[in-house]
Amino acid sequence: MKLDIQDIRKSFGDKEILHGITFSVNSGRAMGFLGRNGAGKSTTIRCLMDVFRPDSGRFLLDGQPFKPRSLRIGYLPEERGMYQKNEVLEQLVYFARLRGATRKDAVRSANEWVDAFELGEFKKKKLETLSKGNQQKIQIAQSFLNDPDILILDEPFSGLDPVNAQIFKDAVQRFVSEGRLVIFSSHQMGYVEEICDDVTLIHHGDILLSGSLDAIKREEGRDKLFLSALEPADAWLPALLQAFPGMTAQRTEDGAILDTGGQPLQGALLAYLSGQPVTIRSFGLYEPSLTAIFIRKAGDEHAGL
Amino acid sequence: MRDFNIIFAYELKTQLGKKTTRVTTLILVLVVVLLTFLPRIIGLFDSGGPPKAPETAFEQAGYVFADDALRQSLTPLLGSVPEDAVYPDRAALADALKAKDVGVGFVFTDDLRFETLYLDRPPESQTEQQMAALLTEAKKMRLMNEKGVSAEDLALIEGTRAEGFSTVLGRDRLNNMMLAMALMVLVYMVVLLYGNGVSTTIAREKDSRTMEILITSTRPASLIIGKVAASGVAAVVQFGLVVLAGVIGYKLNQDTYPEMLRAMLSGSLTAEYLAVYLFFSITGYVMYLFLFAALGSTVSKMEDVGSATALVQFLFIFAYIISTFAMNLPDSAISVIGSIVPLTSVMVMPLRSAMSTVPIGQIILAGALMLLFVVFFAFLSIKIYRWGSLNYGNKTRLGRIVREALRHE
Repeated sequence: MKLDIQDIRKSFGDKEILHGITFSVNSGRAMGFLGRNGAGKSTTIRCLMDVFRPDSGRFLLDGQPFKPRSLRIGYLPEERGMYQKNEVLEQLVYFARLRGATRKDAVRSANEWVDAFELGEFKKKKLETLSKGNQQKIQIAQSFLNDPDILILDEPFSGLDPVNAQIFKDAVQRFVSEGRLVIFSSHQMGYVEEICDDVTLIHHGDILLSGSLDAIKREEGRDKLFLSALEPADAWLPALLQAFPGMTAQRTEDGAILDTGGQPLQGALLAYLSGQPVTIRSFGLYEPSLTAIFIRKAGDEHAGL
Repeated sequence: MRDFNIIFAYELKTQLGKKTTRVTTLILVLVVVLLTFLPRIIGLFDSGGPPKAPETAFEQAGYVFADDALRQSLTPLLGSVPEDAVYPDRAALADALKAKDVGVGFVFTDDLRFETLYLDRPPESQTEQQMAALLTEAKKMRLMNEKGVSAEDLALIEGTRAEGFSTVLGRDRLNNMMLAMALMVLVYMVVLLYGNGVSTTIAREKDSRTMEILITSTRPASLIIGKVAASGVAAVVQFGLVVLAGVIGYKLNQDTYPEMLRAMLSGSLTAEYLAVYLFFSITGYVMYLFLFAALGSTVSKMEDVGSATALVQFLFIFAYIISTFAMNLPDSAISVIGSIVPLTSVMVMPLRSAMSTVPIGQIILAGALMLLFVVFFAFLSIKIYRWGSLNYGNKTRLGRIVREALRHE
């Protein structure tokens, strides 16, 4: 399956929030949808789920119009909601049936996911009697019901402790390995790096980058080397930059990122450094973390996650 | 249809499964059963004959007699009158009352005239009437003796009654009034109780953001119609049990009811009246439920439900006021208009047809308008619900909501 999001525009009143969003999601590859608060992630997802109607643009699934209510979709909204005063299992069965499951399948699926999140003892309890964390797990379990072909999750890691985050990651990775289509938004770059094959970065309603995470990292690290030494950078970096005009550097905590400007300087640098009073700790191609890419691309003047 | 069935079953189970619903139903059933048994219970403590004058002296009473002869003639009627209960004059009796030596005082001028003195008169006091009945009966007996009339002759004379009967070709307002009022109050209770219930349920779904999961899983039409249908059936089950308890209680106890009460309770239960009542109350109830549902989806917080539904509650109370007006003047212009306009006909038409013979053309017109309004409000309710699922935060005027909801696809 391939989901194409094509030139989506959405305004609230006079303010345009999405300025022509375009990217693609492929089944079997988890897509991380990243962006700062207010960047337009939830609005995009709500448009995709037909909660909001976009002003223009279209959603296509394998070239056909995407109709969420006629597909098996697991959806976790950003602001999760379920019936506080109803029993846990009963309402999970209800949601599964609304998505097309038979009663038997709905009961099986609800039991399976409640057990997977280790909440079996709460099946007959009212949701409001569960702790906030356990309520959150039930809400996530809701999105996995009925064996969905497509998973659309808005900030699924929000509020999960590491153990439950691992359960959730395992579940998502299982869905991905089974060739399903998975897209989720998140602020937590570590999880995204761990799970996602592809990422899309949205900023102020525009897509800044979209594609394979590996390719993005390679692209972001192109012409850059990383050098770390036991001595502080102040002791060797100025001389290094003087020796290699045209090369620039960005200091880090334990060294520097060197931008060669496209020159093949790796060998020359090593030769130079071998004659200097510098104890090299590490030297090689620079591969930026997702956090670094995110901050560089979406950080504006005050990067903060 | 499949989704409607799922939503209907879930909502109905949720509503009927609520502890408050079960307890309220039980209390209402018990109250109604108790009311139907009331005449029988009262009968257990009633000796059965007409009220009798007291055989002994009035409790804690003081007396003043115009003269000894009068005292001699009345003493047998009053039972034993202690010497200290007789006062020389009205002023002495009044002082005894103020000192609370006696509870009530009688000043006899002759064998038919007396004055009753109270310090503080209790609202339910029958003392004066009892004394008057006693004196009247005694005077009658004396006159009968003087005129040579036997007690049997007197019973025959007093028992002579002319007999007539009436045939009402249209509606017997007197007999119909009680049942019509009871049924009207029933509709009033059901609409306000369940109407507020529906709007609260929907507002809670929106407040808790459950609505977003629901509208991405199924169509708003299935959600709204499923919820309204579940509320409708829940009300029928809950109040059906109450009415059933009343009917069973009535059947078990009707022989203990006074004839007039029996006539009132059964007077308007004609098939024609029941058909009008059921049609207008059920369709009107459904129409109001759609309105309450729509308004519930316009608020973002639970605490705003009351103010959002105030307008429709006011409309319904207005319908109630018109119906009470129609009770006395069923064929006035206001009553006729009120029984045809759907927002008020829910209450006014059943009441009017209980109190008057309504032309069939007016019933058909009102019924057709009611059906049209039900469909229109269902459509509007679905549109507003969809609008509500997209809009959180600032309050919006109802007119703007309707415009935006109708414009939205």
